[in-house]
Amino acid sequence: MVLCARLSVEQQAKAATPVGLKLGDVAPDFKLQYFDGTDLKDVSLSDYHGKKNVVLAFYVFAFTGG
Amino acid sequence: MKNFQQNLAKLEAADTQVLGVSMDSPFANKAFADQIGVTFPLLSDWGGDVTHKYGIYVDKYKAARRVNFLIGKDGKILEEQIDKDAIDPTKIVDACQRPKMKN
Repeated sequence: MVLCARLSVEQQAKAATPVGLKLGDVAPDFKLQYFDGTDLKDVSLSDYHGKKNVVLAFYVFAFTGG
Repeated sequence: MKNFQQNLAKLEAADTQVLGVSMDSPFANKAFADQIGVTFPLLSDWGGDVTHKYGIYVDKYKAARRVNFLIGKDGKILEEQIDKDAIDPTKIVDACQRPKMKN
C-alpha cells in the first residue's frame, strides 16, 4: 500500500499540471459580474450545478489576442 | 475567446455554458466582446480573487494565465487546457460531445 501510494504520488508529480486544480477536483464556486450593455449581471458557478456543464476560459487581458 | 465563439453552437447543443474570465473591468470586457464578436459573458474578476482561488494568477503580469476548465454538472473539473494548449479548444469541445456529457 505504501509503495502504491508512493508510486501514485510520483506519477502525479510527473504529470503535474502547473495549475492548482487537478482533474476531478471540485471547481471552487464564485460570484462574478459581467456587463450586458445595460446592467451588471451576477453569475455564479453554482447557478449551473446539475443543469449545465461550464467552460471557464481564463484569458490574460481584454484586447490582447483572441 | 473567438475559438470558443466559433464552437458555441456545438457546445450549447451539448448543454455547455461558456464563460470567459479575466481581471479586466466588466466594461472593458464588454467592449472586447463586442469588438471580437463574442456573445457569451466575459466575467470580470476585478481584484483577482477567483483567479487566485483557481491557482492561475501570475504575479509578473498581475493577471491570469490562459487556462480553460471544463466543469461538469456535478461541479468537478473534467478537462484542463493550459497556456498555449488553451488557444485551441478542440479537446474541450470534443469532451463535451461525449455521450455521457449530454446527460
